[in-house]
Amino acid sequence: MPFFEQLAGNLVYGAILGSVYGLSTMGLSLIFGVLRIVNVGHGPFIMLGAFTAFWMFTLFGIAPVISISVALVLGLALGFVVFFAVIKRLINAPELSTLLATFAIGIFLEEVAKFIWGPDHRGYSWDIGSIDLSITLIPYSKILAFISSIVIAYLLYMWFQKTKLGAAVRAVVEDSEGAAACGINVGRIYALSFAIGIGLTVASGVLVTLFVPVGINPYMGHEYTLKAFVIAVLGGLASPWGAFYAGFIFGLIENGSYTLLGTIPGVEPFSLTRFVAFSLLLVILLIKPTGLLGGESK
Amino acid sequence: MLKVESLESGYGTMQVLWGTNLEVKRGTITTVLGPNGAGKSTLLNTIFGLVKPWGGKILLNGMDVTYYPPHKKVESGLTIVLEGRHLFPSMSVTENLILGAYTDRAMERLNETLELVYSLFPILKERSEQLAGTLSGGEQQMLAIARSLMTNPEIVLMDEPSQGLAPKLVMEVFDTISRLKDEGLTILLVEQNVFASLEISDYAYVLNEGRMILGGTIDEIKDSDEIKRVYLGI
Repeated sequence: MPFFEQLAGNLVYGAILGSVYGLSTMGLSLIFGVLRIVNVGHGPFIMLGAFTAFWMFTLFGIAPVISISVALVLGLALGFVVFFAVIKRLINAPELSTLLATFAIGIFLEEVAKFIWGPDHRGYSWDIGSIDLSITLIPYSKILAFISSIVIAYLLYMWFQKTKLGAAVRAVVEDSEGAAACGINVGRIYALSFAIGIGLTVASGVLVTLFVPVGINPYMGHEYTLKAFVIAVLGGLASPWGAFYAGFIFGLIENGSYTLLGTIPGVEPFSLTRFVAFSLLLVILLIKPTGLLGGESK
Repeated sequence: MLKVESLESGYGTMQVLWGTNLEVKRGTITTVLGPNGAGKSTLLNTIFGLVKPWGGKILLNGMDVTYYPPHKKVESGLTIVLEGRHLFPSMSVTENLILGAYTDRAMERLNETLELVYSLFPILKERSEQLAGTLSGGEQQMLAIARSLMTNPEIVLMDEPSQGLAPKLVMEVFDTISRLKDEGLTILLVEQNVFASLEISDYAYVLNEGRMILGGTIDEIKDSDEIKRVYLGI
């Protein structure tokens, strides 16, 4: 049955892509969970990660899997800079201020990127062969992206659960004033969480380059901002782990629906997948407003 | 051990405290009374540093800590039991307690304090693996007090610890506060429950519209006309 083979193939691909979606949303959820700030400029940080991967590969021939750590460090540094320059002043500001500020940061990053690298699409090809699953052909590079996402998410999870600093971050997420009463330096946790959130986002941009057939450009982030919001809401908004699992679900829905839509005569499936994904989001939110994987949200 | 001199603070452009004075002696329970909106919670939150002081002085053991952020206050031996408890609801009782011992000051004595806390609140030991959010109201208040003890404090500020509790539990909370004093702690209490708090206190102040209008030993306050007028309607 070619239909089921195609569906299975697309679902495998969806799961792989979903892991990268999940990783690219964890930073957004972490920042929202700790600081209660929605980073509307999320996508441009992914773009920076993508350019990091591109330049590391074309200039130095460094494989994207290794560039992840470079992007993570750059992202952490950038996160601290943005936090102390902008976000710190907005901690208790009204939502509109933080939305505008993060939106502005996003545009700023895009325009700087355009100024330096130009508006054109660029691409690179990291061909290390493919594995034949008989139903579909999966490049090793994408499998490595899949593994990297899971490893990073797992390491973050362990850091949260097993370290004192991780526990402090969880405490601030649950109740920042309660955390202050315990002697936790809440301001420092804000800075650290923001930096880690940006670090994760930039790092995920490296992996995104392995999934963009048309290449990367300074404006590529928008699509990911949009998807990240859907995924974050699916995952319960404030939980990085919820976001990671929701990324899988989103990837499966997006790619699964592609196959199903393809069977309808006269329908161009690609343009409809996003419609299906967002419709499903609406349905899920109608049934469970706290998100598919979210418990109570404050 | 805690001295507050002409403290001023507020929110945004709204001033709440207008030069408040207060002194808390070591090993005593001091209560701040006053009508709703007098600025009692603001006073505690300003002393702790959650609300920034606009002026005046806060001295802890003679040291100027006016502009210390909350975590430095905790490191200096002052902590707060916030109004509404502010626990970590999806963490276990033990995790809540361990987080209470976050500072170096507290870590040093983690095991001793944990033992003390469990002897004061045996119910928390029974429920140690339960999530804080699933405890009853009384147990949550006990946990909030216990978590503050984990910081190894010299002085604890308590904001409405009996709020929202059944009468029997209210008495239990006040008994607990008395026992904390017997353990050598100093307590600054803000309470709606005037009679019960006067019962356990050594000193009391009356705050009205951001100013202390009365202060003294418990007997002086009990006999004052002001208290009779405001609270007893005589």
